[in-house]
Amino acid sequence: MTIYTRRRIINIFNLSMSFLTMAFGLFWLGWILVTLFQQGLGALDWTVFTQNTPPPGESGGLLNAIVGSLIMTALGVLIGAPLGVLAGTYLAEYGRHSRLASAVRFINDILLSAPSIIVGLFIFTVVVMAMGSFSGFAGSLALAVIALPVIVRTTENMLALVPGRLREAAAALGAPTWLVIVRISYRAARAGIVTGILLAVARISGETAPLLFTALNNQFFSADLGRPMANLPVTIFQFALSPYRDWQDLAWAGSLLITLAVLAISIVARVLVRPKGSK
Amino acid sequence: MMAEINTSTQERATPSVSLAGLRSGEATQNEARPEAKLEIRDLNFYYGGFHALKGIDMQIPAGKVTAFIGPSGCGKSTLLRAFNRIYELYPNQRAEGEILMDGRNILSPKVDKNLLRAKVGMVFQTPTPFPMSIYDNIAFGVRLYEKLSRRQMDERVEWSLRKAALWDEVKSKLRQSGTGLSGGQQQRLCIARAIAVKPEVLLLDEPTSALDPISTGFIEELVHELKQDYTIVMVTHNMQQAARVSDYTAFMYLGQLVEFNDTDTVFTNPAKKQTEDYITGRYG
Amino acid sequence: MIDKKGFSQHISRQFNEELNQILNRVMSMGGLVERQLGDALKALAEGDKELAERVIRGDDEVNAIEVSLDDECTHILARRQPAASDLRLVLSVTKAIIDLERIGDEAERIGRMGLNLTEEQRQLGIMSDVVAMGQRVKHILHGALDAFTRMDAAQAARVAEEDVEIDKQYDQIMQRLIAAMEENRAAVRQTLNIVWAVRSLERIGDRSHNICEQVIYFVKGKDVRHTSFAEMAEEAGINPAGDA
Repeated sequence: MTIYTRRRIINIFNLSMSFLTMAFGLFWLGWILVTLFQQGLGALDWTVFTQNTPPPGESGGLLNAIVGSLIMTALGVLIGAPLGVLAGTYLAEYGRHSRLASAVRFINDILLSAPSIIVGLFIFTVVVMAMGSFSGFAGSLALAVIALPVIVRTTENMLALVPGRLREAAAALGAPTWLVIVRISYRAARAGIVTGILLAVARISGETAPLLFTALNNQFFSADLGRPMANLPVTIFQFALSPYRDWQDLAWAGSLLITLAVLAISIVARVLVRPKGSK
Repeated sequence: MMAEINTSTQERATPSVSLAGLRSGEATQNEARPEAKLEIRDLNFYYGGFHALKGIDMQIPAGKVTAFIGPSGCGKSTLLRAFNRIYELYPNQRAEGEILMDGRNILSPKVDKNLLRAKVGMVFQTPTPFPMSIYDNIAFGVRLYEKLSRRQMDERVEWSLRKAALWDEVKSKLRQSGTGLSGGQQQRLCIARAIAVKPEVLLLDEPTSALDPISTGFIEELVHELKQDYTIVMVTHNMQQAARVSDYTAFMYLGQLVEFNDTDTVFTNPAKKQTEDYITGRYG
Repeated sequence: MIDKKGFSQHISRQFNEELNQILNRVMSMGGLVERQLGDALKALAEGDKELAERVIRGDDEVNAIEVSLDDECTHILARRQPAASDLRLVLSVTKAIIDLERIGDEAERIGRMGLNLTEEQRQLGIMSDVVAMGQRVKHILHGALDAFTRMDAAQAARVAEEDVEIDKQYDQIMQRLIAAMEENRAAVRQTLNIVWAVRSLERIGDRSHNICEQVIYFVKGKDVRHTSFAEMAEEAGINPAGDA
């Protein structure tokens, strides 16, 4: 057998193996999506958006959970994004080679991979115990803590992608560092940073564990941040485990809603980072 | 004419880079070297522990084009980057010695580096248009130093684009992104941006190394035009470019200034063997 | 100092070869021209008509070499953009080959005079002086070419100085020829043959001097045309005071 034929056979083998593994992975993903749409689409109707979560055995909607999730996700991002962007800016622009930056980067990596239930437990101890009650605010904080490392990391990476020569060019015109960052670096990395934030939104919109300990849940509609707040993930968790058919359907509907939201956000993010000129 | 001859043999022997206008033959121009715009005195430069420039002494003449040539890593770009203190962006780089501009040591911490950069503009190897419109690219630098009315700014933008020989190509699309221009146009945009601030010195760091020959020709012609108003210092890898464009040429090797003389002399009769070997493409 | 070896040290081997080739061809052209001059002198002194004819035909070859060398120099200038010593080499070659070609023309003319010269004239006493001047001219041409080959500026300066002696001899011979023509007006037409030959020898001396100047320009980078011999010597580095 010539070396060339051997190489071809190895190539074909490797190609088929990687194709098979990819198909294997996609198969499960496809199965999840198909099940989700089968179960969820059937349960999805207008009442889901107009009625609050029902008591056991009765029919109702997810209004309070949807609104609660929106509020807490929004607040979580509002807290997490500025902190994350600023921290990422420090890492990429000011402290690129400093020791503090390496330490922050290391801790951020740990936070990034920390199980979300630990974040929930932490907020439970620090906020819920101190305030004496579960609250939407505590839930938002927990989500912010989860969003933070994601935003820090993407901001740093996106700013690091801005060519150093752009900064040099701006500095060579006599622009002070802060102006270079605001006018040049942010501008060049804008799409990437926004994408990072959107991905963080997608990430926290499905988190259950941190909310279990912090926002808990609420059967009724409430926009009061000082009290327990209904939210989709925890509702799904409770309803899916229940023996009631109505609740289980609502859990499927909620799951589908979250999935669609994440999908929409991902598409927006993808459009934002698409290279210019390919429009 | 013959009074200069006895310096010829000495020149060969001493490492001096003195610039007595040494040139023989019919066409001797006995003009004195023009007044120095930048005077470098015993300049040493370090990248952390690496000693990149070793005791550079030279005078860069005002209103002329001075080219730095030499193999990669010889320190020519490093030297250029000391003239506007752009190296200060990087904490482990430092310069020792003096660079006098109009008699003032610009390396002194007392000199504000941003005000210095208003006087010493720089254009880089690869074109660096900012991610904004052509108009804003130019206005960016101007706004740092001057408060101009809308009309004045329009005039300044047009003036600098005309000066950079780009106006006719972009006048209809000033609001479009600067990154959409061709490489050669982008580089001229960067030159326009640098001169919009009205500097006195223009530093060009291998300005055409990323450009095709036609764009290179445009930039070289532009350099020739601009030297009427600015002192131009350029680093180039292209020896023929130095020969074409510059009035004075400095050859650097391993962090030292080997030879500095008027370009005609350097390219027809260099004093040092190292220079000779480099410009004739020999391995010395 | 630039030595001949320097032209083999370019990173581009092809460039080395091109430069060495034009140097070699200049040398062979020089050799040919030298032979032409020698043959022409011999034909003049000995009345060898056949040799004279050969010299006259031989000039075509000199001309052909000049044209093709010129072409090669143009090629190097266009393709290599030589600088410093390389540039000076190519420039001095382009100039030196003009001088060589003209020397070839003068040799041809001497050959023609050799054809015209009658046996009677050949017996004139002045002919021995003409032959002696011819030997000197041959010597200076040889010296100039040798200096070129060795790239020796000092030798070039010394050789160039010999031209003074040739000019002196030329003046003396001319005086005597003029006197002879005044004495014997009937022989003017015939004597003019000798005048032209001597005139050609003098021109060859000047051309050899020019080649020496090109050697100094090429080696030292100094243009020494239209300068005194003292200055030339100083530029060539043979002045003892110059070694600072």
